Amino acid sequence: MTNSTTVGLEILENLKLELRRGCLIVAVLAQLRSEQYGYTLRKALADDGLAIDEGTLYPLLRRLEAQGLLVSQWREEDKRNKRFYRLSPTGELILKQLLEEWESINQSLNRILQEASL
Amino acid sequence: MTNSSRRNMELIDRYLQAVRFWLPKTNRQEDVLAELGEDLRSQIEDRETELGQPLDQAEIATILKRCGSPMLVAGRLGPQRHLIGPALFPIYEFVLKMVLLWILVPVFIFILGPVNLAYSGGNWGAAILNTFGNLWSGLFIAAGIVTLVFAIIERTSAHLGAECKWDPLKLPPVRQQERKPSLLKVLCEFGFAIFGLVWLLLLPHAPFLILGPAAVFLKAGPILHQFYPAFVLLSVVSLVRSGITLARPQWSWFPLLSQLLHSVLMLIVLNFMIEAIGKSPLAFQFVVLRDAVRDSHKYIQTAAIVNISILLSVVGTWIGVSIAAVVQTWQFIRYLRKQPSGPQRPASIATQ
Repeated sequence: MTNSTTVGLEILENLKLELRRGCLIVAVLAQLRSEQYGYTLRKALADDGLAIDEGTLYPLLRRLEAQGLLVSQWREEDKRNKRFYRLSPTGELILKQLLEEWESINQSLNRILQEASL
Repeated sequence: MTNSSRRNMELIDRYLQAVRFWLPKTNRQEDVLAELGEDLRSQIEDRETELGQPLDQAEIATILKRCGSPMLVAGRLGPQRHLIGPALFPIYEFVLKMVLLWILVPVFIFILGPVNLAYSGGNWGAAILNTFGNLWSGLFIAAGIVTLVFAIIERTSAHLGAECKWDPLKLPPVRQQERKPSLLKVLCEFGFAIFGLVWLLLLPHAPFLILGPAAVFLKAGPILHQFYPAFVLLSVVSLVRSGITLARPQWSWFPLLSQLLHSVLMLIVLNFMIEAIGKSPLAFQFVVLRDAVRDSHKYIQTAAIVNISILLSVVGTWIGVSIAAVVQTWQFIRYLRKQPSGPQRPASIATQ
């Protein structure tokens, strides 16, 4: 593989990572409209095509909880202690606004892409 | 619980213990570990359900390996930490550069270096080694102190106040783009170079051009005779340099490089001169008395004062040219760095 190809791939990976970062927050918030614990949340996201590793998800969940968008609770299930997360009322409000923003960005992007293809 | 599943759980516990070692000791540490442990156990359980049999140690190890090394996982799960954050980092970098490059290095080279040379009894090798040894440890200590101060500012968030205090109206005016030397400046340099060379060539025949009225009783001494050809050569180089700058204005690299080379040549000549004086400090003579007044006590004193004045001028010139050489080197490096793919200026600035 040539050096320029490697550099190109590296740039693409970084850009994809940046693009995913914001989307992941919306996806996590949307998934947590129903209560889930970490592992099932990760599985649900992966099943829908947004795989996320432990090292990314758990800090994100803690951050969202610290911001008051999520609430969590340790509870025993199948004889094991699990931490369940769900969207807080503030989180629901923010998710709604984020989805509107997402929709607006999507429409703008579509318009730009259509103009560019003319 | 079977022996195999006990061994598997023990492996998970060992892994979590290793992660614990790298996690900061906060009240969230147990929380983070419990959550990670639960995730790993869920993964194992899922895989076992999928395969319809308990996993062996190798399969557990594969899951743990995929999760990442304990240090890496702890780094991702723990709070994001930095010694100096992005808000302070540009100032830190600027201060570090200023302290190390523009204060410490010149102080060592131009102040401590000559002091070391004096103490080493004119032994250049020992003086240079000693100065660089001191400079090396000085750089480390200064960098450490600057980093420590900024880390404290970062921790105490003292910089947050300054963040709000800046005033857009007090920003410095837009700097003019670096230009090629103006034609008038180059012409003046060329004229002075010719004048300087002619003046230098006339000196042996007309010593009053440098000694003034004192030429009646003073004449050039052995050191000036010895170094006269070198100064003529330097003057010729200067003239050629000005001539090329005038003839080839498109060579934007030439003025900077030739100026640097000229300074280096001058330093070499001055070094030889200072070394020659160092070898016989009591007998250095830039000027001597003419035969007619050789025994006059009054003129002997005057000659001694002139010699000391010239010696001080030589040392002063050496320091000045050394500083100029450092600055010119920096300017030339900056020029080279800008050349291949320098960042594009915004249109509003580029058109200035």
